[in-house]
Amino acid sequence: MLLIRCPYCEAERPEVEFTYGGQAHIARPQNPSATTDDEWRDFLYIRANPRGIHYERWRHMHGCGRFFNAVRDTVTDKFVMTYKAGLPRPDQAELEAARS
Amino acid sequence: MQTHHPLAGRALPGAQGRVSIRPVEDCTRFILRIDPQNLGAASSVWGANLPPTIGGLVSGSGRIATCIGPDEWYLIAPLTEQDAIESAFAALYATTIHSLVDVSHREVGIAVDGPDAVLALQASIAFDIAAMLVGSGCRTIIDRVQIILLREGQDSFRVEVWNSFSDHVWNLLAGICREIELGV
Amino acid sequence: MSTFRIPGKGRVDSTKPVQFLFNGKTYAGFEGDTVASALLASGVHLVGRSFKYHRPRGILSAGSEEPNALLGIDHGPGRVEPNTRATVIEISPGLKTISQNHWPSLERDVGAINDVLYMLFSAGFYYKTFMWPKSFWNKVYEPIIRGTAGLGKSPIVPDPDIYASRFAHCDVLVVGAGPAGLAAALDAGRSGAKVLLVDEQAELGGSLLSETDAGVDGMTGWAWLKASVDELAGMSNVTLLPRTTAIGYYHQNFVGLCQRITDHLASAPEGTPRERMWKVRAKQVVLAQGAIEKPLVFDGNDRPGVMLAGSARSYLNRYGVKVGDSPVVVTSHDSAWLAAFDLARAGVKVAAIIDIRPAVPEHLTTSASALGIEVLLGWTVTGTKGRLRISSLRAKPIDGGVAQAREFACDALLMSGGWNPSLHLFSHTQGKLEWREDAQVFLPAKHIEQSRCAGAGNGNFGLAKVLAEGAEAGVAAATDAGFSGTVSAYTVSDELDMTGVSSRELPTDKNPSTAKAFVDFQNDVTAKDIRLAVREGFKSIEHIKRYTTTGMATDQGKTSNINGLAIAADAVQRQAPAVGLTTFRPPYTPTTFGAFAGYSRGGLFDVTRKTAIDAWAQERGAVFEPVALWRRAWYFPKPGEDMHAAVARECKATRDSLGIFDASTLGKIEIVGPDAAEFLNRMYTNPWSKLQPGRCRYGVLLGEDGFIRDDGVIGRLTTDRFHVTTTTGGAARVLNMMEDYLQTEFPDLKVWLTSTTEQWSVIAINGPNARNLLAPLIEGIDLSEEAFPHMSVATGRICGVPTRLFRMSFTGERGYEVNVPARYGRAIWEKLIAEGQAYGITPYGTETMHVLRAEKGYIIVGQDTDGTLTPDDAGLGWAIGKAKADFVGKRSLARPDMLKADRKQLVGLLTADPKVVLEEGAQIVLDPNQSVPMKMVGHVTSSYWSVSLGRSIALAVIEGGNARMGETVHIPMPDGTLRAEVTGTVFVDPENTRLSA
Repeated sequence: MLLIRCPYCEAERPEVEFTYGGQAHIARPQNPSATTDDEWRDFLYIRANPRGIHYERWRHMHGCGRFFNAVRDTVTDKFVMTYKAGLPRPDQAELEAARS
Repeated sequence: MQTHHPLAGRALPGAQGRVSIRPVEDCTRFILRIDPQNLGAASSVWGANLPPTIGGLVSGSGRIATCIGPDEWYLIAPLTEQDAIESAFAALYATTIHSLVDVSHREVGIAVDGPDAVLALQASIAFDIAAMLVGSGCRTIIDRVQIILLREGQDSFRVEVWNSFSDHVWNLLAGICREIELGV
Repeated sequence: MSTFRIPGKGRVDSTKPVQFLFNGKTYAGFEGDTVASALLASGVHLVGRSFKYHRPRGILSAGSEEPNALLGIDHGPGRVEPNTRATVIEISPGLKTISQNHWPSLERDVGAINDVLYMLFSAGFYYKTFMWPKSFWNKVYEPIIRGTAGLGKSPIVPDPDIYASRFAHCDVLVVGAGPAGLAAALDAGRSGAKVLLVDEQAELGGSLLSETDAGVDGMTGWAWLKASVDELAGMSNVTLLPRTTAIGYYHQNFVGLCQRITDHLASAPEGTPRERMWKVRAKQVVLAQGAIEKPLVFDGNDRPGVMLAGSARSYLNRYGVKVGDSPVVVTSHDSAWLAAFDLARAGVKVAAIIDIRPAVPEHLTTSASALGIEVLLGWTVTGTKGRLRISSLRAKPIDGGVAQAREFACDALLMSGGWNPSLHLFSHTQGKLEWREDAQVFLPAKHIEQSRCAGAGNGNFGLAKVLAEGAEAGVAAATDAGFSGTVSAYTVSDELDMTGVSSRELPTDKNPSTAKAFVDFQNDVTAKDIRLAVREGFKSIEHIKRYTTTGMATDQGKTSNINGLAIAADAVQRQAPAVGLTTFRPPYTPTTFGAFAGYSRGGLFDVTRKTAIDAWAQERGAVFEPVALWRRAWYFPKPGEDMHAAVARECKATRDSLGIFDASTLGKIEIVGPDAAEFLNRMYTNPWSKLQPGRCRYGVLLGEDGFIRDDGVIGRLTTDRFHVTTTTGGAARVLNMMEDYLQTEFPDLKVWLTSTTEQWSVIAINGPNARNLLAPLIEGIDLSEEAFPHMSVATGRICGVPTRLFRMSFTGERGYEVNVPARYGRAIWEKLIAEGQAYGITPYGTETMHVLRAEKGYIIVGQDTDGTLTPDDAGLGWAIGKAKADFVGKRSLARPDMLKADRKQLVGLLTADPKVVLEEGAQIVLDPNQSVPMKMVGHVTSSYWSVSLGRSIALAVIEGGNARMGETVHIPMPDGTLRAEVTGTVFVDPENTRLSA
């Protein structure tokens, strides 16, 4: 069972309190009706499947209830860092800092 | 009209005095959702300071307030105070929007007490119970059931669980308490 | 009594005799004995038959790595466990053990014919042999093979024991309580860190328990051991867990421990768990699991009496048991010499020490000479004899001719091919291994987790080095966990420096293709099998493993993996590290299902949610069905009624007069805030802004993909407060989806969501007399048609209790849903039942609810929809707010595929024969005469007997169904094809006159 740091509780909590929420940083278009069929298809269905760093959404469902974002390494299964929903994707320097 | 407490008549006093469980009497419960910037206003209405950070718990005069989310408080009060609390918050709504929802009947309280209360809860809760601050509360999972866990004293905990899960949690804790009493 | 017990030797308590049964015969041992040591004390080596060839097998080892001595143990009815290692089971009074895999008896086993047919059963035997005819595989070969395969007999009655589990958190977890683990735990404990020290054996001490030569700090090894364990036991911050196996090492220092609590006890208090699974989160882990001795590979190395030399030394020193009267030692490592010396000193005539090395340290030959043991250096063993126990072996100089070969009579052969660090837990973490060519071992190299290895498990075999490394690891772990301590120094006396070489298969002058030189004893894999696999093209060690099954038995190749690897590496002509090890997987040793299940058995197997009214239904004999985690009353049979009769009666009573239904399980969400209506506008297909307080509306929730996710009636209590209902199974999902959008897409909205599913008991009252029942009981709500029409909601009181009263219908009759705070649910229900007697009030269950709603064409999300239906597909196009610019899923409804005419659409079906009730899930075709496979155009989603219509009705999804009204479709079934007419979905009261009747 993983330990996951909830950026709202500012604490590491057991994985059972969390649920996975899919890939992060996929914003719903402001005006869906204005999207083309292809754009909307991409928004709905096209997801990354990287080997290594993956940006994903989690929810502290059975804790504070908040959705947040996480960077996880799909090779080691380890969380690199977590951050609040709405914050930008961390840059390379932040990832390196979190890893060390 | 008669009320039916889901755990009516149950108690496990714990023969060796290591750990006991008992149902908590009915009480008033609310979920308060409010922008934390307006916490002062809510505290005034509540009549005591609402804890500002997740995990915080403030109790007194038969009332308990725990912060269980960034904008979420779990409030417990005596049954007789329900109407007064609802009216006071209803009045607050005109100036400060928030959500106060009565969940008195949603939950069942189970008191877990005794020197082995930590051990009993640790049997099925994954986070470090011993490290939980006295005077704190949080939402978590016991076995596969969501609960709100309050630590009111060193050896004194309160589990708040939805009605339909209370039988499962009671039976689980009862088995664990019997195991602890055996001292193996 | 035991003739092989040596008085004065060992740690067993000779004042406490214990009797147990093996194959029906009583044996005696002492407290502290394992089944293996007690049997050996009685001269018993033969304890089982092997897996494939049914060869007689003895006791190979003295620990959990044992591949041969697998017994069934019987602690009474239901407490039967097969394949338990005799080397770890502690004897207890009355324990019954039986040997396995033989018929009619251990001594005379007809299955041993397989051994004679040895040449047939080589690697890949099944794959090559049972190829033809193809049809025979399923019907003939596989059943026979399955019938003869497997070791031991599974228990056939439920396990009567209970099992426990526990999470635990500590600063330092030390796995293994040998000298390294003890030293680590001592120094970590002294630093104040919270320490957990676990060992799979009954007694802490590890290799020290079998060591009688070396001393520590001026004490004997055993005295130091006692002092150390006493000190640890006295530390309140240290927990000692003997009889506890660390079975798996997972991410972030999460380690599974299985603690055996009662198996070794003659009796335990009622309710004592048999085992407890510890789920430990440690800040730091010290792995001190020691090393496992390697067998030597030679023809006949599996006969009873052939065992690991270190194990023979354990039996002597720890249990006071000599494993034979005339043993021979065969080795490539110094450590086996110690077994010979200890046995000789205990009065056993050791016939010879055969070492494949041409030269050994001089102190060994000196000691051997002093003890009168013949030494043969540079010799090899080429075979053994003896039917049920070794009686002799053949040895010869490695470089010598046949003429120099000698035959040694013996009753035991003690072998050692060196020692392998136990890497299992380290490897569970994906830690990197490093190959040491000199020692021919893999060692832990790069740690992935917060862990350290110490002692023999780290490749250090001398006691002085082991203690020093243990102490260092203990302090380092404590330091990293936030404590500070000092590394203790230990003085070790009388320790011999052990060296050795790693051997491949022993050199032989015999034909290697006929040699039965076993590598994996438990799965009966020989060196020949591995070479054959390589010859047949298997190069990857993972493929070789699966083709030969080496290392795939319950011991996971603890004694065989490195030998198998060496032989495979030679055969593929690559270095061992290039071939690599197979994957180590948890659990380290076989673990009972009970321990994994823990408390989750019987009533606690899964959560069963019950409503406040459930007990009333149970008292009235209701039959229940599971719906999500809930159990719900399915129907209420009267004496003599079957389900069909009960449902028909319940339906009729509700349509004719009055039915009452527990709808408490419906999900409920309270939505509060100035933007509540706007939030619902964005989430649901329907428009909400103009819904007046006091009114309610049926809402449809889509996923962003445009498919129906949920539905339910939503009431507006005040301008800023809505009461949303969801399906029973969708409650948590819908709230999660709403929170998702609110938190991440619409954070600008001022609105909050709270689950109130369990705040309310919900009692649905349906039928022409519904208002007549409620009107006298309700205060504060005008129930007149004008004031409280269909689709209304109001708050008031019922029988003095607060209520949120909905006027709505899922039956097509006049309907109300009485919400009362849950503690009042049962009392109000009983009051309504009592007051309703005047109208013949009839409680009904979910089946009747389903029939009544199907008669009206009301869908059940998840039954009539399957995640691929849009509102239009389901006939709910009217529920879409056409004027709304956006809502979740709206854009998807305009995707090209969503607009196709041949989408599957929900329709009604009326069978040509009105008596036939279609099967739900039955497939529908247009042309029954087409050839198989037919083109399936849809399936039946709901199908019932309608008592109102006196005929069957069904709902179905059919391609282009809306354009097929009046057409005949066909439903092929096993006993004939049925015909049905496509109709609309509303079968009863299409004008909805009854809603206000």
